[in-house]
Amino acid sequence: MEFFFAQVSGFWDALVHLASDPITYPYLIASVFLGIIFGALPGLTATLAVTILTGFFGNKFPLEQSLIALIGAYVGAIYGGSYPSILLNIPGTAASAATAMDGHPLAKKGRGGEALGMTTTSSFIGTLIGTSFLLVFVWLLLMISKNIASPEKALLALFGILLSGTLMSKDLVLKGWISGLIGLAMAMVGLDPILSETRYTFGWSYLMSGFQVVPVLMGAFAVPQIMDGMRAAGSVGQAVDVGKIVPRVGTVMKRFPTIARSGVIGTGVGALPGVGEDVAGWVSYGVGKAVCKDGDQFGKGSINGLLSAEAANNAAIGGALIPLLVLGIPGSPPAAALLGALKINNVIPGPTIDPQLILHVVAILVMAAATMAIMGLLTARVFINVLRIPQTIFLPVVMVLTTIGSFSVGGGINDLYLMLCVGFVAYAMGKMHYPIAPLVIGVILGPLFDETFRRSLYLSDGDLSTFWTRPGAAILLALNVALVLSQMPVVKRTFRRLKPGGI
Amino acid sequence: MKLALTGLVAAIAMTGSAYAQDYPFRDITTAVVWGAGGGTDTINRMIMAEMEKELPVSINVINQTGGVAGSNGMVYVMNQPDDGYTLVGLSESNVTAAVQGGWDKKFDFWYPFIVGGSPDLISVGKDSPYNTIEELVEAAKAEPGSIPAAASGAGSIHHLNLLAIEQGSGATFKFVPYKGSAPGQEAALAGEVALVVTSLAEQAPLILGGELKPLATLTPESAKIGDMEIPSAFDSFDGLDKYLPLKQAIGFAVHASASDDVKAALGAAFEKAIAGETVATWAAENYYDVGGQYGDEATALFSKLESTFAWTLHELGAAKVDPATLGIEKP
Repeated sequence: MEFFFAQVSGFWDALVHLASDPITYPYLIASVFLGIIFGALPGLTATLAVTILTGFFGNKFPLEQSLIALIGAYVGAIYGGSYPSILLNIPGTAASAATAMDGHPLAKKGRGGEALGMTTTSSFIGTLIGTSFLLVFVWLLLMISKNIASPEKALLALFGILLSGTLMSKDLVLKGWISGLIGLAMAMVGLDPILSETRYTFGWSYLMSGFQVVPVLMGAFAVPQIMDGMRAAGSVGQAVDVGKIVPRVGTVMKRFPTIARSGVIGTGVGALPGVGEDVAGWVSYGVGKAVCKDGDQFGKGSINGLLSAEAANNAAIGGALIPLLVLGIPGSPPAAALLGALKINNVIPGPTIDPQLILHVVAILVMAAATMAIMGLLTARVFINVLRIPQTIFLPVVMVLTTIGSFSVGGGINDLYLMLCVGFVAYAMGKMHYPIAPLVIGVILGPLFDETFRRSLYLSDGDLSTFWTRPGAAILLALNVALVLSQMPVVKRTFRRLKPGGI
Repeated sequence: MKLALTGLVAAIAMTGSAYAQDYPFRDITTAVVWGAGGGTDTINRMIMAEMEKELPVSINVINQTGGVAGSNGMVYVMNQPDDGYTLVGLSESNVTAAVQGGWDKKFDFWYPFIVGGSPDLISVGKDSPYNTIEELVEAAKAEPGSIPAAASGAGSIHHLNLLAIEQGSGATFKFVPYKGSAPGQEAALAGEVALVVTSLAEQAPLILGGELKPLATLTPESAKIGDMEIPSAFDSFDGLDKYLPLKQAIGFAVHASASDDVKAALGAAFEKAIAGETVATWAAENYYDVGGQYGDEATALFSKLESTFAWTLHELGAAKVDPATLGIEKP
């Protein structure tokens, strides 16, 4: 309890200190804005935003100031990814792929303004939840994340892939799983993570580094969307009823259980080393679908679905910073870039970190979240006008941006071919009602699954029992099995009989 | 025609030397082959800021990452003129680029400057039953290949150190590769592996925080961290000096073909910078040993590292190119 009060009062001092320093504001506004732009442009990611700023600031600026810029950009980018998800059905970053599930149907119903407003609010609250965990429960979460070893990570990655497969399927759940497995198979291409043997490269050096996530993401989401848009030939823009963007306090309060639950889930997932915002969004979305009363409406434009994803991915930021600051192990890819920035400035995060720095980071997170919320609510009105632009003009622009985004990862022209190939396959899969998101999640989580699964077996000399003899692994394995079983027709029928009215 | 060409070459050579006398007259760029925030990047940003003070121009540090063992950055700098205006920030890990197929040059393509390196340690998790390196080695000898040991990927300096301690002490561990030092240390904390071999600099915060228990350094010298004295493994096992020390060498380099004026100017600035207070403080705080070698001495160090790394990788079957074809001698 004493720790709690000490932390809170320390945080307050840090916040006052930060807020009373005028230099904070130009940094904060510029970086959050930059972050939102990076997040909103398909293909440019939060990791890229933080990495670029890390190189830019180097060790030539005071650490306090560069941290404001880096964290501001991080928070902004995770939030900014929701704009194209909602408005265009193209996730700006992998973290906001789950956001598109309900965000875009809402926009199609003309409730885009409301969706953007709710997203902004929930991102804001989500960031605060993650931050408060970083402030108060840092040691508790650390204890958990420290005991997560390879078997748990492998099962978690598998759960993420299965979950998105389950959630995304429109008709047959099997189709979602197939899509996820294709993604997983794609992730096997390249140098294997344990022994650095080449796999499925056919002697082509480009394939040695495996399929990059960004071109796959862009190909899977943007290309089919653009093809569909062009076919529909909506030469006139959509009529947009902007409506009220700032949500009423009452509305937010009513949704608070969803936001709070998603925030806690997001923080927890973010705190696991190497598992970041993208998984947080899906896991929270999945839990939301199971728990919320309107779970069956998820995917058709449910505000609860939107909030589940958005609150979680922003909360993951605070979570990801926990192992970073107190163990020196980044919880997510952008956090890894942040680790670099700290080291350039001669700060070595770990158990010996200056507690004052954690308070400073917490204060920056709170300020960045507030800046993001204000900026978001002010600019949503402008952004939503994107829908008014005739698609024939707008989609080619998106295509160009997408291409630049795919090119930016540095694989050269081959990345663009990859994007197009994935795009055509994704289009065909979409026509056959195979969901495409599980494929992308498979590509994102595949390497993690591959590495940790094989290392688990390597360590146990091939003994599979390693996946149920550890308590954490046993729970996760049970979740995986339950997820698959729950989709079996037999099980479904039994449940329906047990519980009249259904779930 | 031939005469004209010779004349042209001579003219270029002359203007080249005329400029070189004034070296440096415009800003220098250092391309670091590893990512921003890594050890090599951090060290280069620090030493370049110090050398700037000794030179009339600024030095910009950029990152050119990717490729095989940092080959992208090295190829990039190789393709720049050897006028001393583009330096490359690199580390001992880059000596494997050639045998791994990243590029086709021996490391003596460079004229290196070594800022320093951090000694490697063998450490165990805080709850580990082993309290000394002898206990650990005894346990490993009792059941060879049963004790999992983390070190970053096959062929990294930490892996070579692990191999060396195995050969020197007669123990056999179960080598588990990780994608870097941090994940390996994380695995030791989680109890997934029994021991981890990474550098003192990388382990320092975890040792000071009581998360890792250091058993021994893999250098002839012992190390001090906080109030703790870490003994040298050399005191426990006699055979070690045959294989060790294999120490990190982080720094930067200029084309070996650069003019002597360029090398002299950089050398003078480097000597002053390395002797400065900033470097000493930085090294002490971050648990690095200051090197300070450059030119022939540094080249000799790097070629020893190159031959050890290249032939070890070759023996592990992880080398794409036979080191013999590159003219790398056996250690």
